[in-house]
Amino acid sequence: MSLAVVGVNHRTAPLEVRERFAHAAREVPASLERVLAAGAGGGVLLSTCNRTEFYLAEPGEGAPDAVWAILSERLGGGRSASAYGYFRRDRDAVRHLYRVSAGLESMILGESQIQGQVREAWEMSKSQAGPVLHRLFQSALLVGARVRSETGLAMGAASAASAAVAVAGKIFHQLAGRSALVLGAGDMAELAATCLASEGVRVTMVANRTYERAQAVAEELGARALTLDQAWEHFATADIVLSSTAAPHAVVTWERVAAAIERRGRRPLCILDVAVPRDVEPAVGRLENVFLYDIDDLQTVAAQATAERRKEIPAAEHIVTEEVDRFWTWYGGLAVVPVLKEFRGRLDQVRAQELERALKRLAHLAPEDRAQIEQFSHALLNKFLHQPTIALKQAAHVGRGYGLLEALKRLFGLEQRDGE
Amino acid sequence: MVLLAHLLALGLYGLATALALAPYAGLRPPPRGLTLAVPLVGIVCHVVGVAQLTLIGVAPALSMLALFLMLLQVVSERVFRAGAVGVFTGPLATGLVSLAVLIGLAPGAAAAGRSAWSVLHITVSILGLAMLALAFIAAALYLLQFRELKAKRFGQVFRLFPPLERLDRLNHVALMIAFPTVTLGVLLGYGVRYAGGVPVDAAQVVWGTLTWMVLGWAVSVRVVRHWAGRRAAFASIAGFAAVLLVYLALKLAEPGTQRFL
Repeated sequence: MSLAVVGVNHRTAPLEVRERFAHAAREVPASLERVLAAGAGGGVLLSTCNRTEFYLAEPGEGAPDAVWAILSERLGGGRSASAYGYFRRDRDAVRHLYRVSAGLESMILGESQIQGQVREAWEMSKSQAGPVLHRLFQSALLVGARVRSETGLAMGAASAASAAVAVAGKIFHQLAGRSALVLGAGDMAELAATCLASEGVRVTMVANRTYERAQAVAEELGARALTLDQAWEHFATADIVLSSTAAPHAVVTWERVAAAIERRGRRPLCILDVAVPRDVEPAVGRLENVFLYDIDDLQTVAAQATAERRKEIPAAEHIVTEEVDRFWTWYGGLAVVPVLKEFRGRLDQVRAQELERALKRLAHLAPEDRAQIEQFSHALLNKFLHQPTIALKQAAHVGRGYGLLEALKRLFGLEQRDGE
Repeated sequence: MVLLAHLLALGLYGLATALALAPYAGLRPPPRGLTLAVPLVGIVCHVVGVAQLTLIGVAPALSMLALFLMLLQVVSERVFRAGAVGVFTGPLATGLVSLAVLIGLAPGAAAAGRSAWSVLHITVSILGLAMLALAFIAAALYLLQFRELKAKRFGQVFRLFPPLERLDRLNHVALMIAFPTVTLGVLLGYGVRYAGGVPVDAAQVVWGTLTWMVLGWAVSVRVVRHWAGRRAAFASIAGFAAVLLVYLALKLAEPGTQRFL
């Protein structure tokens, strides 16, 4: 019995390689089926934009090769995917998944999205996972939750988009129900707007230089499309303005904002300028009750949060180690019974063969004497097996069973049969 | 018993202050349950001590003010999730109880020169004063957070203080409750003086009326002139400072710890 993880992540492969390995939900069963057919007792495929990993239970010799073959086909050009990846076994594989689930392996340290992705991967592969991987993924989700609740690894906003949410959250009593005006229809604006929407902010208007593009993004966000010229008057009503146009100069000027905010009373206005070059004149930030932040400010918030999160790594690693030991105790106990059965069977086979050979040489013995000798061989075998059996069960109980089992397999040649 | 209860409360308020200040010293924020439980246990001890006091003199007044401040700290944390209020109320209450213990707290018969109306007047008035202090604290927190946000400084104030709007709302609510409370306190004071025949010093009348007027002004600028945010925060701070300075001036004119004023 063993566990393994075969895959690539953002540390081992560049984006252009990772995006080729990414599996859509509909592609997962077929890929897993190929790996299981190559020799594995169960499998779960975790595929996100930052990683593609096959978790395998009882992998045979051919299973890792099957994974590399699948990934190499996607890579194309005769290149081998194994050059970008890693292969980890047993405790290291368990530790790896726990670290992934805790956010310790994430590009943005401690991010919580991975927890949901691990859950989705597990649910998607449920029919092919098998009991050991079920237990492993269940425990991985618990480890992720434990790390996030018992340490500060998920504290603060560690990306520019989440920093935008954090900054707005320090101005308004609550973000849910606030209205946002989005200027520009680029990817960054869309990403930050999605982040705000996930906090309950209503993106009510999307304005862009070209109306058609504004309309496309507005439809996705459930908002109204405007041209930039129509947008200025809405500074009087919006709570948050998110700006990310491709303009080569500042389009949000002091005059435009000052004219609009006269009509908004003393309500604060949060302007998040995520464009490079900046869309908003710095002087706008000096207006009373206007809070202006550009991409550098948001990155400062994110960098500070990341530095704080780094301090929590030892505490998170401690939890991971504790939970790996716990899993391994369970797994070791699970493995003891079949190996012991096989060990006993193998020795009994030897006993029977040797007994038969001896009895052939002792053909003159009476049937009662032959029976005595056979009984003696059984008793002797039981005596020999008694202490190792007790020791193995005890070791399994305290979590050291797996090491002894490996030694037993190797010493008595059980592993050849295990691998068959 | 009075002293023991106060000393227990003092220890727990000190601990509550340490818990409130811990994140600012770079330590991990304590669990929310702990930041609520410690001051609550302190409040229980404090109530036991205050219940046995005769409400005459500076020490009992300071003790009662500290009790209300801690109570308001717990309410602010529970209702407004404004744990940062404890950064002010914790040390303030700890200092006030310490001062009360140093001045001297002695148990006395509840009726020793004080009618139930008089006790009610004192209790309500001090509660109103504590509410005014809470409005001041919320205003101070607002201005600090405002300055950090405008200056784009994302340090501990940014991370640990509540959002601006929540602080503004806390200030608003504190003033709105303080005004009727102080009004009732002042009315009870006049009742005790004219209907109850209890002698009341001119200084008490001046200070009580001034506090009521200041609060009335702070409330009116919010309600009638729709002040909010920074301007309203400055009004609260100015009002509280005026009340405090006039008290100190009146106390300097007639020093002594036997009478509150």
